[in-house]
Amino acid sequence: MKVLGTFLAVLTLTGTIIADDAVLETAAKRFAPADVAETPDFQRHVVPLLGKLGCNGRACHGSFQGRGDFRLSLFGYDFDADHGELYGRVDPEVPANSLILQKPLMEIPHEGGQRLKAGSWQHQLLLNWVKADSPERPKDAAKLVKVDVTPAEVLFTADGQNVQLKAVAIWADGTREDITDLCRFTSNDDQIADITSGGYIEAATPGDTHVVVSYDAAVVAIPVIRPVSDKTGDDYPITATPTKVDELVVSKLKKLGVVQSGLSSDEEFLRRVSLDVTGALPTTQEIRDFVADNSSDKRAKKIDELLERPGYTAWWTTKLCDFTGNSDSQLNNVTPIRSEASKQWYEWIHARVEKNVAYDEIVEGLVMAVSRDPGETYQQYCENLSSTFHKDGEHLFADRTSMPHYWSRQNFQLMEDRVIGFAYTFLGVRIQCAQCHKHPFDQWTQDDFQGFQGFFTGVTGRNQNARPDSRKEYGEMLAKFETGDLKGNQLRNELGKQLKKGEVIPFGEVYSTPPAKVVERKQKNGRIQKVRKGGGKTATEARLLGQETMDISGYDDIREPLMAWLRSPENPLFAKAFVNRVWANYFNVGIVNPPDDMNLANPPSNAPLLQHLADGFIASNFDMKWLHREILNSQTYQLSWEPNPTNRLDERNFARAVPRRLPAEIAWDMVSQAISNDEKYAKFATSNDGRAVAIPGAGVRYQNDRTGASYALTIFGRSIRESNCDCDRSQEPSLLQTIFLRNDGQVLSMLDSKDGWLSQVAKENGISFQSKSPTQDDRANAARLGKSRQAALARVKSAEALLAKARKSKDENKIARATSALEKVQKQFKKFESPAATDSVESSAGKIVDIRKAIDDAYLRTLSRKPTESEAETAQEFVAESKDQLDGLRGVMWALLNTKEFIVNH
Amino acid sequence: MAFSRTCDGVGRRDFLRAGVAGGAGLTLANYMQMAQADQLQKGAKAKSAIFINLNGGPSHMDTFDMKPDAPDEYRGEFSPIQTNVPGIYISEHLPKLAQVMDKFCILRGVSHSVAAHALGTEYVNCGNRPLPSLEFPGYGAVVSKELSGDPELPKFVAIPRSQQRPGYLGVRYAPMDTSATPAIGTPFRVRGMSLGSGLTVEDVEKRNNLLTKLDRTFGEFESENQLLDGLGQFGQQAHAMITSPKSREAFDISKESKEFAEPFGKSGLGASCLLGLRLVEAGVRFVTVTNGGWDTHRENWDALQTKQLPPLDEALSALFAGLEARGLLESTVVYVTGEFGRTPKINKERNGRDHYPRNMFMLMAGGGVKGGQVLGESDDKGAMPKNEGFSPDDVAASFYHALGINHEKEYNTTTGRPVMIVRNGNVIPGLFA
Repeated sequence: MKVLGTFLAVLTLTGTIIADDAVLETAAKRFAPADVAETPDFQRHVVPLLGKLGCNGRACHGSFQGRGDFRLSLFGYDFDADHGELYGRVDPEVPANSLILQKPLMEIPHEGGQRLKAGSWQHQLLLNWVKADSPERPKDAAKLVKVDVTPAEVLFTADGQNVQLKAVAIWADGTREDITDLCRFTSNDDQIADITSGGYIEAATPGDTHVVVSYDAAVVAIPVIRPVSDKTGDDYPITATPTKVDELVVSKLKKLGVVQSGLSSDEEFLRRVSLDVTGALPTTQEIRDFVADNSSDKRAKKIDELLERPGYTAWWTTKLCDFTGNSDSQLNNVTPIRSEASKQWYEWIHARVEKNVAYDEIVEGLVMAVSRDPGETYQQYCENLSSTFHKDGEHLFADRTSMPHYWSRQNFQLMEDRVIGFAYTFLGVRIQCAQCHKHPFDQWTQDDFQGFQGFFTGVTGRNQNARPDSRKEYGEMLAKFETGDLKGNQLRNELGKQLKKGEVIPFGEVYSTPPAKVVERKQKNGRIQKVRKGGGKTATEARLLGQETMDISGYDDIREPLMAWLRSPENPLFAKAFVNRVWANYFNVGIVNPPDDMNLANPPSNAPLLQHLADGFIASNFDMKWLHREILNSQTYQLSWEPNPTNRLDERNFARAVPRRLPAEIAWDMVSQAISNDEKYAKFATSNDGRAVAIPGAGVRYQNDRTGASYALTIFGRSIRESNCDCDRSQEPSLLQTIFLRNDGQVLSMLDSKDGWLSQVAKENGISFQSKSPTQDDRANAARLGKSRQAALARVKSAEALLAKARKSKDENKIARATSALEKVQKQFKKFESPAATDSVESSAGKIVDIRKAIDDAYLRTLSRKPTESEAETAQEFVAESKDQLDGLRGVMWALLNTKEFIVNH
Repeated sequence: MAFSRTCDGVGRRDFLRAGVAGGAGLTLANYMQMAQADQLQKGAKAKSAIFINLNGGPSHMDTFDMKPDAPDEYRGEFSPIQTNVPGIYISEHLPKLAQVMDKFCILRGVSHSVAAHALGTEYVNCGNRPLPSLEFPGYGAVVSKELSGDPELPKFVAIPRSQQRPGYLGVRYAPMDTSATPAIGTPFRVRGMSLGSGLTVEDVEKRNNLLTKLDRTFGEFESENQLLDGLGQFGQQAHAMITSPKSREAFDISKESKEFAEPFGKSGLGASCLLGLRLVEAGVRFVTVTNGGWDTHRENWDALQTKQLPPLDEALSALFAGLEARGLLESTVVYVTGEFGRTPKINKERNGRDHYPRNMFMLMAGGGVKGGQVLGESDDKGAMPKNEGFSPDDVAASFYHALGINHEKEYNTTTGRPVMIVRNGNVIPGLFA
């Protein structure tokens, strides 16, 4: 075994520089002698030991309910509370009679079993603490600066190799102590590196992972690598690294002995990049042209071309709506007309992605959002905003400066929810753990969480009323509509109606309240007193993550320092969070994975690569297209999926393309596209009309979208945008998805749609083809009819109710009138009871002139490649044995849609 | 395999392997075995469940929790009738159910505070008060995860669709929607299960053969890649399901004898209950039936008397009797509920009752539930539970209990938070025989 690297895997909590003092030997040795006199330190020894013994774990006293009335803070960072709990269980007179000793020694019954051996160093450590009258953590206790772990990187080469880690804590007061026996060791993958609770690692299967060392607030991850082949270092095959990305990827692969696959074929590349960038398949002509093109920069040119297509804008708008949480169900009641808020959200982002507005500017539009544009009076605001709803209104919501709906969501109202949502979206961090206890895998404590929360206290988000200084105007505008006592939903509906009529209505606002201002007030005795005025709930101080508490009382909008910190080049997470997500879009896994779980215990698989992309993204002024180009033009992105013996099992070091199930919207769009006629097929490159990537919101109501895709999108796992997790979108396979593609009436009837491919083949060959299955437009019409039908049904119901009332009154005249009214509406309703839709297809047994051409075509439209000779032969045989040729082609198309090659991007 | 970190420090095995690990990774096959390993509590009787959702909120005062002695402005137009269990009275418009009272249990004084349809429905479909930041899995999703199933059948079927979402458990626990309500006497087409028009099983077999021959691009790599391996396995299972006579017959209620089908009546609810029974008999684990029209703000009594109660009376009584006749009542737990009750005080203006979650009724039967009893009680005006009452969480805990699922079992949400299946419920004492 050799120890690699000169860098130190350390966590720096402060910038203090430590003199190179002697290291105190480990507590296990110091407390072993029976006559040990040392008093242990509460923070440095007692609490870590309780963690090591498992006392403050969640299954035991770390549970929020505690166990046996004894509760410790989970993972122990609440020193005051823990001390209080422990102090109630010590016997200062007879220390050995303390519950905290008797229980774990099992001298008296302990549900958690025996945790301590009598006379052990652990026992003596705790005993000495009690003997010294259980000292608590001093108020001015030195902070932990860092934990040094040696070796800083572990490289195994053969079975049976092992290494003992050593951890040294360095405190701000200069003390250094060997804490190997007091810290916790865990492995991120025990198949590669199994680590004992004492920090002893034994080599297991080849691969790379990290072991994690936790102590106090520090979390240190130590890489453990065991190459999967002997092709490492100088023995690594010569591999071209045309870009910086390739250089950094291959540099890691060289350590691992993982060899890259070859370059993808033109067809493979074109299909992959088209689906990845635009969510649509290349046309057959495009494939032919691309393959025939001999220029050396054709891939780069294609990438540029795809980044300009509407599909790119729609897909990245969708992704940004995922990350920022555009959910119709969370935006209930935010606009007077239902579902408009999520549409506006989508449009606002879409307009910016289309113009390639810098990422940090888009973020600023969300983070700093207020409803009113700069300089707008309340009246102007209502006029302009009303205009965005009016038919042919001159204002567009997308033209407004900011996008306030981000703050209006139901799940973004509590301050803690704002912290969690914000950290998820813009920092890629799951800070929720720190809401209730120290984050087990990161440096964040409850104090950090609460300090950060301050920045979110200034915004009133629910959009239910005008800014306080405009409430009078709001009332005046409302008075015009004579809405009387209407409130809540009824008022909103009424205003919605007025808005649809083209009226200007009063709107609620998202606004920011400045913190309390210090003003001087003259008292009766003539003295000047300073008092705070106004400010509502807005905090006057807050703490950025990883920084000290700051005074924010001087800001008009306390989000300003937050935004400045976010986009600052020094921000450790903002750029990384985004580049990592973009990378994950192209490689199935992030460099940090899961991509939204950046924490100290979950380090990047390739830190220099993540750093390079983040630095470049910042240097490009957050130019999203720069980032896409940087990744897509790398050889790494353009590798084949075909594995070699060294990279078959590797999916986190980017040595080949990783097959991945296509995202829900793209899977649906791709099915629709593949079986469309040529004209409709080609439109996918120029328009997003009717595509699932153009559906704005998530939530129940989007399911009524006219694309008819709701069931498919649900089972294929479109993001629900509910829980601040990238996993709200699912790309895992499921049985229902497979059943859907194989046998769902919707897919089967689309095969025979009149604007479909089969219909086109029939037409070209003079075969009669009648399809009664609906096209997308037909479905949209049906949806509209459905609404009219509902209305007619409602009229029937109310007529029925009237009749019932009339019958009760026993007034013959009334009954007669009600009966005739009912008959009338029933008649109207009957019109909607159309005969059940059939999807029968009749085709005469005409002859298709060139069946091979049709089969080639089917392959090109689904798999973006021509069939191999043997595939073509199989397909031709199938057609020949079918009841007619068209039916044969239907079967071939069905089979291609159901291949793994189709539903997987590779 | 990859471990994704959870909030409480417990490593969670990811479904898809992301690591470079050689050796035996967690394959989809053994993952599915793990997921299917039934770790049931002893003594549970139910193997499957039918959940009937009465959308809109049925009035408790006019059905199963009548207050004949309440003042006029509360009482309502209907009279109670004696059931076949002495001392238990229900609405006169439920005469058939009155005759099978011994087979089911009425829960009165169930109470919560969510008066909106969508949220209330979500609540009673998962047993956890809805949170804006987390989507809880519905009962069917949990059951799909906890109980093994017949490979030729879907585990969880929704007729026609369900409010029970897979939530944080993930899409593989989503229900198969029939997308339509069946009707007695007409062929029923089920989304994904019925063959396309003009297709025979032979056609499907032929296409599948073609697919098998063409779907070879990834070759040997398939067995090493979880996604491809999974897609392959799902393909085989889907094909088996689509072509198996078992599944298609289970969905075909026209296969049922006339004598057996008749008591279910001609309504969509009746046909749905009959379908539910057939599915459970075939081996489907969880069926939801959704029935609407209960939001009776206007003309409450007229709507109940003419439209809502007769089909409910027929469908439920036939379901309970039918399950018993087939020997399925012991092994099938049935849970009937709306999202809330309706205001005890009559809305005179509209002659109706409005949303009211403070007091509602629920029904349970089968799966070891002791029939012929009323648990819980509401006050004289049907306005609040007398004593403590029950919460939807308690009923959920009991429902899981009947199925042998420990409702206090913890899952990790997708972001790694540990959450119990039912966070605040207690199994209702006396519910089980």
